[in-house]
Amino acid sequence: MASFVRAAAVASASAPEVVPDLALPPAGGDWTKRAETIARAVAAALKSKAGLPQSEWQQLPCLVGSSSHFIGAREAQPDATLGPPAEFAVQLARWFDASGAAMAVNTACTSGLTALGLARDMVESGACPHVLVLGVELANRLTGAGFAALGLLSATTARPCDPERDGLVLGEAFGAVVVSGSGPWRLASVEIKVDPSGFAAPAPNEAVIAKVMDAALSAAGWKEIDLLKLQAGGSPIGDLAEARAVRSTFAALPRMVSLKGAIGHTLGASGPAELALLLDALARGIVPPTAGFARVDPELGLQPQAADATSIRRVLFNLAGFGGHVASLALEKT
Amino acid sequence: MTYLVAPTVLRIAPDAMAARTRERFGGELRRAGSFAQLCLLGAQACLDSAPERTSLGVLWASRHGARAAARTALQEAASGEPVMPFTFVATQPHLAATLLAQRSAPVARAAFVHVEPSDWPRLLGLAQTWLASCEQVLVGWVEEAAEEEAHQSDWCVLQKKPGEISCEPLREARGALPSTSADWLARVAAWTAAPREPLALRGGSEAWRFAASR
Repeated sequence: MASFVRAAAVASASAPEVVPDLALPPAGGDWTKRAETIARAVAAALKSKAGLPQSEWQQLPCLVGSSSHFIGAREAQPDATLGPPAEFAVQLARWFDASGAAMAVNTACTSGLTALGLARDMVESGACPHVLVLGVELANRLTGAGFAALGLLSATTARPCDPERDGLVLGEAFGAVVVSGSGPWRLASVEIKVDPSGFAAPAPNEAVIAKVMDAALSAAGWKEIDLLKLQAGGSPIGDLAEARAVRSTFAALPRMVSLKGAIGHTLGASGPAELALLLDALARGIVPPTAGFARVDPELGLQPQAADATSIRRVLFNLAGFGGHVASLALEKT
Repeated sequence: MTYLVAPTVLRIAPDAMAARTRERFGGELRRAGSFAQLCLLGAQACLDSAPERTSLGVLWASRHGARAAARTALQEAASGEPVMPFTFVATQPHLAATLLAQRSAPVARAAFVHVEPSDWPRLLGLAQTWLASCEQVLVGWVEEAAEEEAHQSDWCVLQKKPGEISCEPLREARGALPSTSADWLARVAAWTAAPREPLALRGGSEAWRFAASR
């Protein structure tokens, strides 16, 4: 059995031609109430796009990808007990009015895409007809402090693939995807591998990125693609490693886009969030411009740019995560 | 048919962790943090007693994950002092797969999930689907001790190649013994010592049956 993206919705920052279903409310105030408000709004947007009967919607199992879960709520109440992340997944599912099994996935920045891969397994094995996948990363101090301590943040702004890039800019997002047995985009393959050299490394190994892209293309039975969604978030060595991998994989470079200049690096949410934004843009016939990219870095040789998307059918979607998880998703328009 | 091999049940007193890690790996893996070390101790012990493999999925779960590291990192962040880099690293519970890959395990795929204790059968169900692309799937339940309890690091390997214990999900959970992530594998391991009748264990609304295959 094949699996498909049936519908996707997202709350995030925006940029020209990068249009979320809703803007995030300002951070601050009661963290949990804000999370609930965002969750319920994304749920409403997703529900109307998915068009599932209410009885099927209510039975949806829910997989939540996040690297921080409800750490933000704990920060707001320092004396509170740190609850188990599985409870966060159950709570989110409840806000989505989905009462199937809920679990939380944490593989850092690839969490949401790992959850999508598990959802694909569940649909293709026949275990579930539909699965709800959430990617959630909401404001908290610890994540920012941790990335700052590791020296990975930009002092200015995110500039993916640009010679002036100087690090990541973190962002918030709440992405949601329904994976089903039918839909407008087929999940042709999801490849996620572990880079043995990636433990606490500032960037994944280029050979591992190339291997993962090759595996995704091979599993999909493709030699060429129409569009590559880069991981590129503006990390000096991260973007370089990905560029080298891309150049070793494709004799002729495909059209490219990075979304991290538009919404920031949304870590565990980035899979579902960037997927929702990209599929929305493609549905409008547009490959969005890469915010923050101004000119080609000769060392990278990559030139992401806005384009007409009407002929795009095959998309490769890259992500790489802190701790060595590297992912590539192949999507085909049906 | 799916087979379960090398059931490995580790309970480690918190004050014995450092010595156990040094004994097994020749030194403490301080940068990885206590949760990853706990994962690695159990996972490596399980792999040592399982058959050799060419490709390995690693799928493991915890209710709380790296809660000791998370607590420390939150305290550091709340104090207004900079968070120490490796305190933050240690809050990430998924690092064990990278550490296993560094130790030559042929990790083809890996995922860490948080589940409630009664939901242990779901992990077996997911692991079964991974056997379509992995020769073996290493499945684990890891929980850092709260207060005076012992740390838990329980692991087993699922594979298609025949082994001593066959296992399968049951359509009907009624009649199966209730079990949680804290005890189901220990029960299977104890039953393996003298298996007679098949063992049926239930978690939540799902159940699995374990039977001697030889």
